Amino acid sequence: MPERPARSFPGRPVADRLSLSMRASHLLVVLLVVAGLALAALGSALGDTFYLRLATEALIYAGLALSVDILLGYTGLLSLGQALYFGIGAYVSALTLMAVPSFWLALLAASGATLVAALIGGVIANRVRGVYFALITFGLAQVVAKVVYNTRELGASDGMIGVPVVEVPLGPFHVSTGSAPGFLLVALALLVLLYAVSAYLLDTPFGRVLIALKANERRVAFLGYSTWRARMAAYVLAALVAGLSGALYPMLRGFVSPELLYFQVSGNAVITVVVGGVGTLVGPIYGAILLTVLKSVIGSWTEHQLIVIGVLFMASVLFLPQGLIGLLRPRLARWLGRAEPPPAKAAEAEARP
Amino acid sequence: MTGQTPPVLAVERLGIAFGGLRAVDDVSFEAGRNRITTVIGPNGAGKTTLFNLISGALRPNSGHVRIDGREVTGAAPAALLRLGLARSFQITNLFFGLTVAENLRLAAQVLEPTVRAFLPVRRARVARARVGELLERFGLAAKAAELAGNLSHGEQRRLEIAVAMASRPRILLLDEPTQGMSHGDTEDTAALIRALAADVTILLIEHDIGLVMSLSHHVVVMHQGGKLAEGPPEAVRANPAVQAAYFGHA
Repeated sequence: MPERPARSFPGRPVADRLSLSMRASHLLVVLLVVAGLALAALGSALGDTFYLRLATEALIYAGLALSVDILLGYTGLLSLGQALYFGIGAYVSALTLMAVPSFWLALLAASGATLVAALIGGVIANRVRGVYFALITFGLAQVVAKVVYNTRELGASDGMIGVPVVEVPLGPFHVSTGSAPGFLLVALALLVLLYAVSAYLLDTPFGRVLIALKANERRVAFLGYSTWRARMAAYVLAALVAGLSGALYPMLRGFVSPELLYFQVSGNAVITVVVGGVGTLVGPIYGAILLTVLKSVIGSWTEHQLIVIGVLFMASVLFLPQGLIGLLRPRLARWLGRAEPPPAKAAEAEARP
Repeated sequence: MTGQTPPVLAVERLGIAFGGLRAVDDVSFEAGRNRITTVIGPNGAGKTTLFNLISGALRPNSGHVRIDGREVTGAAPAALLRLGLARSFQITNLFFGLTVAENLRLAAQVLEPTVRAFLPVRRARVARARVGELLERFGLAAKAAELAGNLSHGEQRRLEIAVAMASRPRILLLDEPTQGMSHGDTEDTAALIRALAADVTILLIEHDIGLVMSLSHHVVVMHQGGKLAEGPPEAVRANPAVQAAYFGHA
């Protein structure tokens, strides 16, 4: 924008502190994509399936953690029932695939069902704040989990098995959900898409209102925004992210079960976000990878893997309040900030009375 | 024509009770365009509650609030802001974890057309230009990148007013803007408020009587929830009832 005056402070499109932090997250996502591509290439060269499928599972749970972070890290809402939307996405995707084996239709149906469920759940949960919000989200997920558990048409306690392998049509290409490296890339692509949409929205005036809600909800109303609508929007966005991630689950595992809706899944997602870095978007993704891998590795030695996860969680809360990525991201942001042109500080200092 | 123009802000027989306590009781007054109307009264007189009723933080039990003759009684704060009424708070109410510039940008982004709500913030030129103006006008330019929580008390009070001004309101409610300020800062703030009155109608709560006398065009005296007197500053000061209830106890 050469026609803009260079002096007046944000007269030029200079990225502010929040935008710079978001760009630092983008860099870490690029790193993830590179690692994912390398893993897919390596895995298919070595003919591995186990590690590729483990990585795919990690990426699916990363989507769930991303959803928790939109609420917890940006809007300041602790959801203890995000598994509700993950599970709805998984079940609707499974049901769709068993009726019509179409990947895109399954995703579409899962998002539609999640959207409707989130609107209902949001109206209920957003009547209250804080601890009560957390308890209501927990309760909603438990109620739906019990209903699913007792519904024979949904396979009751056994869940549903025999979700067919389908082809994922990507323009001129085809990938089978049964192909370990292929489906890893599909899961990676969806996760990056969900991340990109979330990160984009959080860096718009709409997203900044969500961030303001977390910082000081009572002031937001006096800035001209309905806090209820903003919370609802965040809730629905987060639910869609969880639902779309859940939709991939039956494609990977071939089955769904009521456990997907249980508190263990919701609680794990919150732990993942805290370990990875609350309010960073990318932290929860790395957190999910770390926890999924740890669980599998430790799980092969001992069945008491939860002890290790628990200790790791407490250590993060005590020693890494910003999570693993929280250590790295501010440094990246500062480095990116130096690359930006300085905002004419000297001139501004003179302007001070 | 001028005689028929409704006042910018009119409060008519406004009242609210909490349990048996009539916190604001049958209060009426008008705030003239681009004038400074000051509400004074001892602690507990109901001044902040009155502000809460006018700004939509509380819903009145009785009475009316009108902006330009339009009934806005009981409207939500967000709706009132979009009608041009903004307020500051007695207890500093900022986004302490965000930078000074972001506090102002958030408050200024209502000026953007709605379509920009979903475009990146760096494209929001109207808000950015407004932030630049506010930083300059309120002497906060050097602190733009500082977190609001790290500012001095005086700077936070100034930012509080700047945030309220960000949306270019027509009516500005300032609740004790000089609260806790040093003498020098109070003088600066008074000058700032006087300058703001060129653009906006100001309703002020203030305890510093010297400041009230020098700033106000019109003074409303509250006592125990009700309106005791109103009028030009000198007339109010000379009023025996006001002296007995307010100045007498000081």
